[in-house]
Amino acid sequence: MAIRYYWSMAVAAVGFRLALVLFGGDLQLASRPEVSTPLTSIRRLAEGYWLKQASMSPYSGSMYHGSPLLLSVLGPLTNKRSVGHHNHIYCSLIFVAVDFIAAMLIRATGRILQIARNRSLKSLELTEAVSNSVDVSAGDIASLIYLWNPWAIVTCVGSCTSPIENLMVVVMIYGACSRLAPLAAFGYVMATHLSLYPAILVVPIILLLGYGPDTPPRKVYCLKSSSASKSDVSDNDKSFSSRDVQQFSWTPVFYFILWMLFWTCYVLLLSRLVLNKVGDLQEMFEKTYGFILTVKDLSPNIGVLWYFFAEVFDFFRSFFLIVFNMNIAFMVLPLAIRLKHRPCFLAFVYTAIVAMLKSYPSVGDSALYLGLLGLFANELAEMQFTFFLFFGYIGVSLLSPVMHNLWIWRGTGNANFYFATGLAYTCLQTVLVVESVSSMIKHDRKLRLLVTA
Amino acid sequence: MASSTTEEAKPKPRLIVRLGIFLASHHILFSALCCTAGIIALLFLPSLAKNTYLSENALIPGSANTLFSTEDILEANRFLKGIEAATGESRGGTDMPKFISQEIKNLGAEVHYHEFLPDRKCFHPLKFFTSMTNNMAVKPNGTYTNFGINIAGIIRAPRGDGKEAIVLVTPYNSQGDQSNELLSLALGFSVFSLLSRATWLAKDIVWLSADSQFGEYAAVSAWLNQYHNPMFLSDPVILDTKMYGTNRNLYEHDDTTEKAELMTFKRAGTMAAALIFKVGETRKYNDRDSVTMYAEASNGQMPNLDLLNVVHYLAVHRQGFHVNIETFSSLLSSSWLKVIAEVFQNVGSVLRKINPDWKLDVNVPDYVEGTANLANSMYNQALGVPTGSHGAFRDYQVDAVSLEFAPAFNLKNENAKFSFLLRGGRLTEGVVRSVNNLLEKFHQSFFLYFLTAPSKFISVGVYMIPFALFLAPLPIVAAALAGDSKTKGKLVDECKTKDIVGDLEIGGESWKWLKSARVLLVIQIWAALVSLLPYYISQIPGAMPTQYAVIWAVLSIVILIILYGMFGSPYHAGVEWRLLKATMITSITIGMGLMSIINFATAQLGALILIPMCLFSRPLKAQLEMNFLPRIILFISNILLTVLGFPPAALLVMKCLSKGLWTVDIGDFWLWMEFLWEWSSATYLYVFLVHLPCWLLCIHVLLHPCLQPESKMKQE
Repeated sequence: MAIRYYWSMAVAAVGFRLALVLFGGDLQLASRPEVSTPLTSIRRLAEGYWLKQASMSPYSGSMYHGSPLLLSVLGPLTNKRSVGHHNHIYCSLIFVAVDFIAAMLIRATGRILQIARNRSLKSLELTEAVSNSVDVSAGDIASLIYLWNPWAIVTCVGSCTSPIENLMVVVMIYGACSRLAPLAAFGYVMATHLSLYPAILVVPIILLLGYGPDTPPRKVYCLKSSSASKSDVSDNDKSFSSRDVQQFSWTPVFYFILWMLFWTCYVLLLSRLVLNKVGDLQEMFEKTYGFILTVKDLSPNIGVLWYFFAEVFDFFRSFFLIVFNMNIAFMVLPLAIRLKHRPCFLAFVYTAIVAMLKSYPSVGDSALYLGLLGLFANELAEMQFTFFLFFGYIGVSLLSPVMHNLWIWRGTGNANFYFATGLAYTCLQTVLVVESVSSMIKHDRKLRLLVTA
Repeated sequence: MASSTTEEAKPKPRLIVRLGIFLASHHILFSALCCTAGIIALLFLPSLAKNTYLSENALIPGSANTLFSTEDILEANRFLKGIEAATGESRGGTDMPKFISQEIKNLGAEVHYHEFLPDRKCFHPLKFFTSMTNNMAVKPNGTYTNFGINIAGIIRAPRGDGKEAIVLVTPYNSQGDQSNELLSLALGFSVFSLLSRATWLAKDIVWLSADSQFGEYAAVSAWLNQYHNPMFLSDPVILDTKMYGTNRNLYEHDDTTEKAELMTFKRAGTMAAALIFKVGETRKYNDRDSVTMYAEASNGQMPNLDLLNVVHYLAVHRQGFHVNIETFSSLLSSSWLKVIAEVFQNVGSVLRKINPDWKLDVNVPDYVEGTANLANSMYNQALGVPTGSHGAFRDYQVDAVSLEFAPAFNLKNENAKFSFLLRGGRLTEGVVRSVNNLLEKFHQSFFLYFLTAPSKFISVGVYMIPFALFLAPLPIVAAALAGDSKTKGKLVDECKTKDIVGDLEIGGESWKWLKSARVLLVIQIWAALVSLLPYYISQIPGAMPTQYAVIWAVLSIVILIILYGMFGSPYHAGVEWRLLKATMITSITIGMGLMSIINFATAQLGALILIPMCLFSRPLKAQLEMNFLPRIILFISNILLTVLGFPPAALLVMKCLSKGLWTVDIGDFWLWMEFLWEWSSATYLYVFLVHLPCWLLCIHVLLHPCLQPESKMKQE
């Protein structure tokens, strides 16, 4: 069931972005703490570019913490001004295009997942039982969610570099889904280079390349084959199972690793060239990855880390830094074991967890995982608390600027007010992750029951 | 195997889940209880008011002897005679500013003129939300002959470092010479001259004579804007000649250096507090001079309570003024309020017998007066429009209060004038001295409070109880409605397929609310468009308010029809009314929650109408199944609340109740809305982005055809 008016809606979303960029005047979105973080702010990028032009290291001072490659791509655009528009209009226009490409890639990923799903359902002979009740074109839904998500729009219009980071993650997932090892490796290396956290996505990428896109768990196939062998006694049941259950194929993984090494060297070389004479790679690592991992900037954002590290005693700081950074790493293995048959969904869960626990989160990160959530519209049809989550997200995104206003401009509130919305936001994300994972597991169980019934 | 898992006994849900289910199943009773409790708690508020107290110890008001003496009054009289002579010479001329600046210069203080143009009224409904420091100075094109002149004198504190300042403001009208205004200027000058000799000053003193020919607020806000947003354009004199033309007689005798000196905008430090004072009409309060305090700034913001406490303490206990605040005098004599007061006194005395610590039995006159003051305090905060020029200070986070002195006797009597000036001067000096002691910004006492008397307040912790009670049933009812519709859907499904696979069927049950969310989205888009329409309508020149209002109404309806054409009418999509109501209630919870943070009083007053309206709403068709008596009650309350909930109707009823005139003029609504957006009041946004969409959704629920479930049944 494809969505009617898909293209008109997609074009309308792009048109809406363009209208906001061209005629919205200066909406001051770039100064909102929810939208831009020290890592993604285009103002800081402009500053870094200026420093580089003045033959200084772009990382001198504490303004810029992004990649040197972005400096050479976006930097020249930050200098151009046009009268009557906001300062970084050309960058915003690029981000509109980037968002559109990302949405199209999400759609293509959705197509691949859909084909894989239909194939596995067919082999399980469940097409009638499952597809009749819910069958929507998940790729269309996901790309529309990404295009029309107010947060994605705000991030795009507010000229932050997060659309590029999101694009790289999407490129990586698309490349892995379509088993293009070079593309997947490129997306992986770039995403990791830009914001470090996508590094943990190596697990779902390898699973995707090895096993192929999401399928029901292996156990279901085993049950199916055993029941099939029970019903009609034939001696080729082994070939039946091997035909449907994907074996782990090492070749694309091997290619992926080779390409990853190649791209890594290439990116580092390019960075070295950009930083030529003004800085070196060690400084780059210190000022980008070091800045991310040690949470040096404690200006408020929608996450929870700034408040915690503003309050914590100095001699506990390193301990808690380790704890908070390990927090993400701890989740990788258990989730990978439980969801190894659904690597794409695993990638969504990882991005959601990263958006929740990263040191400088912004709404752009949430826009990414909410878009990816749409890819599993069929599987998550039974998800609980969706009403609560939807209005919770709306409520938090309206509450956050109000609390910020109360604290910063009116002076009648304080930091706790703003932090409270951050906490509420984190809780919502937790509920979303827990509910989506549990309903996915429930979905798998249902498939198993349907097979045995 | 499948049957064993489905028949597996479900574990008992957790206590909190069971509690939630219990509340949801009794949501009607629960919401009725909560709303009643909310209204009772609201009526109890005047009894719950506490006496004010000074939180900040550094203030120590009245601990030093006042220095304001007969000499200063002689100075004031001399100034008064001089300025009367100056205004007498040239009516509407420039002699008054010149005289004032000369006098200030004679004291050895710095002085400068600040010229400003009246603010053009613009439509900027979100201005309250963006930072106030962002408004750029008006850039006029062409020359203007009509402009205001503020005169600001600055005393540099002998003991300070020039980082902080206290601002005194006296409004005057450069185009007229009312004796009251001249007297307040004289009072201001005498205090200023005393302070220029004071050795104890630790903060700079700025005395601003604000030209109120375009209103006090415009003058003060223009000055504050320039104080906080320096213009780096060019030499001020050149700018000035560009702006205002060269043929000015203000400096015709002065040479250019002095002129430049006078026109250079001078600044002192960060403002610690501001005091605006003026002399009002003669009023009698048992033979005592009186002071009226005005404190409400824009969007329900109040200055720190400590500032009011200092003023009140010094005025009552040191200078013997009668202090009052604004009140609804019509409430003071209303008989129904007296009946309520008696009831509450009786209830309070019974409660006191139960526990002597509950001091809720306020006597009838106190309760009535408290209610009248509280109602006015709430009304002013809810309107979101400042009650005076102190509002301009609050926009820059400076605590400010306006004092209006009202002498008890006619000021032609020299003795009366003498004692009046003495007290007024001593009060002002005392307040300045207290604030001068401050080491930090005002932060100790409350920012969020209602006043029920000059020395009685209700803090945020108390006044939010009624609102919280109103808000509490909303999530419960929403959950109950959403859960209700889900179980109904489940039932239908079970009828349909009675085998086990049916239970395993994967359906989009939990996403059914998306349709009603779409309706909500369409209506919110409509509301946003309607709220933006006045920007375009008001640019049509030369129309009457009635015409504007009619255009607005017609355009709104047209937009609604177009939107329905584009996105489909809500009934075509087959939205279940329970889900629609659940969506409405959830959206209203979010809207009310946000509004209570932005401006509590608006949310409180809006909740009184909106929340019963939402809770009562039930499709008229669905009501047919009920018994006669509840049906009639529900029907009448639905109609009544829906009429009251429509903003123009509510305004009409309010106007009629206050004035007793039953005339219908749709133009009034336009004027009222214009008033709100000109002052960039958040109430305007509330009315159009929270109240109106909720009202429209309510209408949708009421007129819901209720066909969907039945037709589904029939199909099966």
